[in-house]
Amino acid sequence: MTDFVMETRELRKHFRLIRAVDGINFSVQAGEIYGLIGPNGSGKTTLIRLIIGLLRPTSGSIQLLGETMPNKAVLSQVGYMTQASALYEELTVRENIAFFADMCGRRDATWMEEVIALVDLQDRVRSPVRTLSGGLRQRTSLACALAHRPRVLLLDEPTVGVDPQLRSTFWSYFRELAGRGVTLLVSSHVMDEAERCDRLGFMRKGKFLAEGTVEEIRSVRGTSTLEEAFLQLAAMETEGGAH
Amino acid sequence: MSGRRILTITRRVMKQVLRDHRTVALLIVAPILVLSLGALLFRTDPVAIPLGIVNEDQGMSLPVVGSIDLGQRILDELIESDRLEVIELVLGEVDERLLDGSAQGVLILPEDFTADFLQDQQAELDLRLEGSNPTRSMTITAQVTQAAMESLASLAGTGFGMPGASQADDGEGSLPLSVEVTYFFGGEEFDTMDYVAPVYIAVLAMFLVFLLACVAFLRERSQGTMERLAATPANRAEIVLGYMLGLGLFALIQVSVILFYTVWVLKIHYLGSLALLFLIITLLAFVGVNMGILASAFARNEFQVVQFVPILIIPQILLGGSFWAVSEMPQYLQPFAYAMPIYYANTALRDVMLKGWGLAEIWPNIAVLLGIIGVLYMLSALMMQREVA
Ligand SMILES: Nc1ncnc2c1ncn2[C@@H]1O[C@H](COP(=O)(O)OP(=O)(O)OP(=O)(O)O)[C@@H](O)[C@H]1O
Ligand SMILES: [Mg+2]
Repeated sequence: MTDFVMETRELRKHFRLIRAVDGINFSVQAGEIYGLIGPNGSGKTTLIRLIIGLLRPTSGSIQLLGETMPNKAVLSQVGYMTQASALYEELTVRENIAFFADMCGRRDATWMEEVIALVDLQDRVRSPVRTLSGGLRQRTSLACALAHRPRVLLLDEPTVGVDPQLRSTFWSYFRELAGRGVTLLVSSHVMDEAERCDRLGFMRKGKFLAEGTVEEIRSVRGTSTLEEAFLQLAAMETEGGAH
Repeated sequence: MSGRRILTITRRVMKQVLRDHRTVALLIVAPILVLSLGALLFRTDPVAIPLGIVNEDQGMSLPVVGSIDLGQRILDELIESDRLEVIELVLGEVDERLLDGSAQGVLILPEDFTADFLQDQQAELDLRLEGSNPTRSMTITAQVTQAAMESLASLAGTGFGMPGASQADDGEGSLPLSVEVTYFFGGEEFDTMDYVAPVYIAVLAMFLVFLLACVAFLRERSQGTMERLAATPANRAEIVLGYMLGLGLFALIQVSVILFYTVWVLKIHYLGSLALLFLIITLLAFVGVNMGILASAFARNEFQVVQFVPILIIPQILLGGSFWAVSEMPQYLQPFAYAMPIYYANTALRDVMLKGWGLAEIWPNIAVLLGIIGVLYMLSALMMQREVA
């Protein structure tokens, strides 16, 4: 459907014998927060890299903002936060944010201040990234992903290493962005974050074991919490039972 | 001190090195490569140097001994030398042959060479050298002097000439022979540093920015920002070009420093235009930048960048006509010289600095350097494509 911001069909990515992404079908609408939940090595990062066009699929197709990926032009409207922070160590916080804004062709001074305030880095804008703590780097990375006012945000474990208070701030901000029509795809291991998403895909070994809203997943599994539902699904998978 | 801890570290370090197969291979291959190249260049009998001879010597007929032709004797001696390839010339061709390099030196024996010698007991050789390569000039001078000495010595047997071989040891003044050398290019005021300066400049200009570019580009990948860059609308060609210009700026600064220092501080003699030197060195620096970017695609860490020095840089210096003239290298090595970007810069720099040539003469070398930059640029962009999407 064309009104989906993001859509994949029978998407597969194999690295030799490893099926990192193994037949994923899903779609995300404008203004939605979609959560990718799954254990280590389940294929979350690979899926995100496929969607943004950093990897070519082994088979299947990806539509992003109406374009078939990989497509360079679309990327000026997409923000990407990598799992491990990817920043220029010698440059300051502000220089990093400005660089990525410029690369996407949109530097807007007031917006930049807003982004810096959101990640609460006003005091450190002049610090070289090399001197930042892990959590501060994580915040800088998020600011870089937001720097050009993207319409779509792909965030790979954005809250790892972020303290609980700021994590909460991040999520309320994600919600606010979604309210303004920004579409978010967020990967996470953490259940309380999963519950803050509009819809979820529970990944394991490159496949979605379950997909839908928090309510849907809970009720289908007949459990009271999302965590129980996931544990149940994971157990079924390891027993080799069909689902 | 704990022996066990030390050994634990030792084992871990060994494992780390062994995991990096390329490093292990290089530890073995690099010295073999560099040593073999050196041996090939030092050992192999070099190709003979073309020496022109204008022999107008009429010789002289004497009673009792008969005719003496000193010019012919020297010529015969020189023909026997395997370091030289003797070409007989007439006076009118001399300058032209020296200019196009088909004769690296010309020995001129005038009409009355024998007659003068018999009269003065002193011979003066008129040797004109091409002059742009000091080792070649030295070889020619030595060979010519030796041939002349032997010819004169053989005269001693006839009762003329050499008043006795023993006297040759008495010192320069008593030698019946002097060599008057004139240089077609360069000249006497040129010292060895002037001759090696072009090579020095070329090696410096390329080597340092090569390392700079290689490490800078590698870091972009190792700190993950290449992945971030690839997720922006910038395509590979833009990224490589951006790097090329950014690092190129430092290359320009470095080129300026090199030129300023060699010309104004070391007071190197040079003939041609400074602007042209700047152009050549800048192009070579850009070759270095692009080579670095391309090479970084084949390096996983800084250590592997350093490994490019014996693999890419030293062979360039050895084979690129820096210290061994390409025409004097073994035949089968010569094609490699033409594959070395530094060869074209060396040639152009020498032509400008030692021969005073201008753009009109050296443009083919400039064109090749530009072409190399273009090819390296395209390859770098292609190599990146392989990595991400
Ligand atoms: N470039 C690659 N080459 C080979 N295998 C890869 C590559 N990238 C990912 N994989 C493999 O694909 C699988 C999925 O990896 P991926 O990084 O997508 O997992 P993930 O869900 O993001 O895990 P985590 O929660 O630890 O970040 C893993 O088995 C991983 O080893
Ligand atoms: Mg991951």
